[in-house]
Amino acid sequence: MRILIRQHKQAWASLKKKPGFVLTVLMTMGITLGALLCAITLNYLLLVEPLPYPDQDRLFVAEHGVTGAKKETKGLAFTYPGLVHLYKSKAAFEQAAIMSYGEDVIVSHNSQPLVNTAYITPELHQILASPLALGRMFEASEAMDTHNPVAMLSYNTWQQEFNGNVDILEQKINIRGVSYRIVGVLAEHFIEPELEEIGRETQVWLPFDFNSAGEGQRQSFGNISGNLKFIGLLNKEVSQSQAVQLLTPLVNDRWQEGVAEISFFKGWSIDMRVRPVKEVMLGQSESIAIMLLAGVVGLVLIACANISNLFMARTAEKQRQMAIQAAIGATKKHLFKAMLAETSILMFMSIILALVIAKSGFYIMQQYLGAVLPRVNELSLNPITFGCAVLVTVVFALFFAKLSTRMINYRALNTTLQSSGKGSGLQVSKKTRQVLIASQVALATVLVFANFSLLKDAVKTINAPLGFTTTNISTLRLNFSSTDSPSQEESIPIMAGIMEKLEALPQVESLSQSGSPLDGFYLRALTNVANNERYTPFLKGADQRYFNMIEQPLLQGDNFTRVDRQDGNNVMIVNQAFAKQLKADGDVLGLQLSMGGPDPHKIIGIVKDIAIPGETAIEDDGSAEYTGVPRAYVASRLGAQTFMLKLKSGQSVSREQLGKLLAEVDSRYAVFSFNSADDILTQRLFSEITTAVTTAVLAGLVFLLAGIGLYGILSYGTQLRRFELGARMAIGATKQHLVTMIINDNAKSVLVGFIGSVVLFALAYIGLSEYIQPFLTWQVLPMIVATLILITLVTLFACYWPLRKYINKPAIFSLRGSD
Amino acid sequence: MTDIKIEMKNIGKVFETDDVETHALKDVDIVIRAGEYVSISGPSGCGKSTLLSLLGLLDESTSGSYVIEGHDVSHLSLDEAAHIRNEKIGFVFQSFNLIDEISVFDNVALPLQYKKEIPTDEFIKERVEACLKMVEMSHRADHKPNQLSGGQQQRIAIARALVADPAILLVDEPTGNLDSQSGDTVMAVLAELNKNGTTICMVTHDARYADMAKIQLKLLDGQIVNDEALKVAV
Repeated sequence: MRILIRQHKQAWASLKKKPGFVLTVLMTMGITLGALLCAITLNYLLLVEPLPYPDQDRLFVAEHGVTGAKKETKGLAFTYPGLVHLYKSKAAFEQAAIMSYGEDVIVSHNSQPLVNTAYITPELHQILASPLALGRMFEASEAMDTHNPVAMLSYNTWQQEFNGNVDILEQKINIRGVSYRIVGVLAEHFIEPELEEIGRETQVWLPFDFNSAGEGQRQSFGNISGNLKFIGLLNKEVSQSQAVQLLTPLVNDRWQEGVAEISFFKGWSIDMRVRPVKEVMLGQSESIAIMLLAGVVGLVLIACANISNLFMARTAEKQRQMAIQAAIGATKKHLFKAMLAETSILMFMSIILALVIAKSGFYIMQQYLGAVLPRVNELSLNPITFGCAVLVTVVFALFFAKLSTRMINYRALNTTLQSSGKGSGLQVSKKTRQVLIASQVALATVLVFANFSLLKDAVKTINAPLGFTTTNISTLRLNFSSTDSPSQEESIPIMAGIMEKLEALPQVESLSQSGSPLDGFYLRALTNVANNERYTPFLKGADQRYFNMIEQPLLQGDNFTRVDRQDGNNVMIVNQAFAKQLKADGDVLGLQLSMGGPDPHKIIGIVKDIAIPGETAIEDDGSAEYTGVPRAYVASRLGAQTFMLKLKSGQSVSREQLGKLLAEVDSRYAVFSFNSADDILTQRLFSEITTAVTTAVLAGLVFLLAGIGLYGILSYGTQLRRFELGARMAIGATKQHLVTMIINDNAKSVLVGFIGSVVLFALAYIGLSEYIQPFLTWQVLPMIVATLILITLVTLFACYWPLRKYINKPAIFSLRGSD
Repeated sequence: MTDIKIEMKNIGKVFETDDVETHALKDVDIVIRAGEYVSISGPSGCGKSTLLSLLGLLDESTSGSYVIEGHDVSHLSLDEAAHIRNEKIGFVFQSFNLIDEISVFDNVALPLQYKKEIPTDEFIKERVEACLKMVEMSHRADHKPNQLSGGQQQRIAIARALVADPAILLVDEPTGNLDSQSGDTVMAVLAELNKNGTTICMVTHDARYADMAKIQLKLLDGQIVNDEALKVAV
């Protein structure tokens, strides 16, 4: 033990003299192993760790697959009566719950916060065995059709909106005109299954009866809604496939009855899907997590190769010290132990940094990737993380120690001393060094280029033209806080009054009674009256000011008028993409499209296409292949409760200010949401911004690692040549001679590396041509040049930097074999 | 006094570590004239190698002045020192310091490639062959150094030192890594060169070889203890 401690003390003393080496190993291994621990923990959580619910292996989600006449999937969402029918049938499931997700304003709260709501049947929390902080979960007396207004709060809502008030139970909250009695608060550690959207946290739980679906939707088998979900514990004797066979005819038969009189659905059917809750929650995240792990493992391998090079250089540097140790009786085993002491210290320091970085990584994921990856809130430094950390430390410490001692020619060590350290000591052949340099350059070139490409793509998407402006535009959506919804006629004068007040605000430049394009469109079935062709474009209501406000050009025909809206004229404006779908020449003015009612809509105008980030870009290059997103606009109703406000430059309006304004007109109205278009745009670009930031960081990291790797191997090469350098200096070589010589000597290997990167790309192209083909345009040429310049600069730096300590000192320092 | 090749006055060299100052050389005065054969000898640690490093501009002195063929070389930059070494000094090391990866011919030609004006290929060929002939190694021109014996490698090192026609040949323990037969051969080569007019300054701890020099300097604790060279100069 004492010997072990002494060895580690000596190793530490030796390392202290090489802060640059220690820092490089620490940063390289610390950062990459931190990322590895992060990725391993995430993969374990997503792929291996069971969901925190009892009987989670029997927990399934039933989905309503809408299939078109050509057997194509039209959507994966329930109709309201279809969901209720399935729930009431009690088929295949031992216990089941249904849910309707929404957003609502707690109007009784002082700040009238907008909260995520879930309207549920009582079985949900029973199935999940949800832990409670206060009170109880919903009971049979609050089941479907009981209309008993009670509420449960999430822990965070209780803390943030109600300051953790311990007397919260039996207090009441008002949502959409209904007063709910709070009966329970979920525990802090309750984990909600993310079925509707990754990262969405329900803040207030309410009974299913009170969901926001209108009477029409509750009866209609023609309306599907993504907000409706079904979850249940499958019967023990029923398998997943049996459940599908059992449920499909049950639901389809009822649906067919429901849509029998709607010709649009002729030939359509319902195919039920039954999937494990875990699979639904994971979605595409499983492949993202695995790709992340694969990427990080790649980084660790590069880092490992780089650090191996540094250890080779370090061993070369320590040759004389080891020769002395060998001369006084150290065996190969002793030398290995001494080296292991060094690598253990370095790996221990690295893993401590790695754990800090992993912890920070969890925080970053929870803050920024909560909407991309499920269950990230459960990420923490757990026994798996620590176990991996210990394993990684031991494996890498042994690996680097073994690698370093394998380089030592034990017999040659003695002759090293005999020749006073002059002119001998070559451990790795020149050819091996050249192969290492070439492979480093090839790998670095491929990785830097690939990262540049990803970065360029993400930046291009972020900067892609939208086809409309978002500057100074905000969207205001109103919330009606009463159960007795006003009729269309009743709401028109109220909305007119609200608009008058809004226009009178000094901050407001102009106003439109329609939502921003970023607030979304909805799919609508339309039939061309002329030929009965069916279309499903994205539809949106717009008033006469909409296109001017967002600066979306009207290419042909007319805009909506106030008269169109007042008289309820069935007029429609379509975009170029939809016009081309309807008629190849795009000349569709006057064409009539039916929405199913007796009076079809007449197309009066054509507007330019727009791009909604995350959906499509505008790329109409005039080619026949171009198919943009078909969009149609109808005149918005005068009673519409969504507005766009264009504010004067530098001005702002608060939610509270708008709330007061609404109350002055009609106290039943509150602000549902008020968001700037720029904020919505940033949210929609989140994944592209994340990609850009991630690739920029990765590009930087790869570049750093490539630099370290090249430096390591070139430094090692220079180290081995120090006596040769000394000899050349002794016979008159200047700094320039030596720098030129080292660059020339390495140029061949670098060139081979560049050729190797081309070969790697060619191999990648053969294997993944469909993914790579779109990238192969002349636009990649500047990136290729930039990559080559960067790698060349790194190589030049790596050639010069290790050399400088020899050429900037008198020749005797190189010849003596010590500094 | 144009035949004075080297003149050192009051040369001192101090090595400083964290808290220790070591005076390797103290007030050393040396004059070496054209055609002289000078040996520097003394016990281990007396400063022989340090003195030779200073003579060869491989290291910088802490004090004193140093003149080679009338040029003051006391305070030169590293590149200026490299040029002077290339033009005026030929170095022969104890461990040869040949470059294993290039041929004997290329090793010998190396100093010519570091000249300010690189000579023509014909000149290089002629000069290298002449030097190899002087050390009787012409037949090994295409070999790699590691294919030769120690004595042969040292003769190649001498040829390399001579190729740029230096003012003086500085030789550091030329027989230190050789058996006695090879050592005798190398010493014979050096004696022959001196006989033909080459100025030589050699460090050795072998009294037998030191005696072969016409002028023998003895160093003790960093100081010259006989002043034969100085006397000759005066």
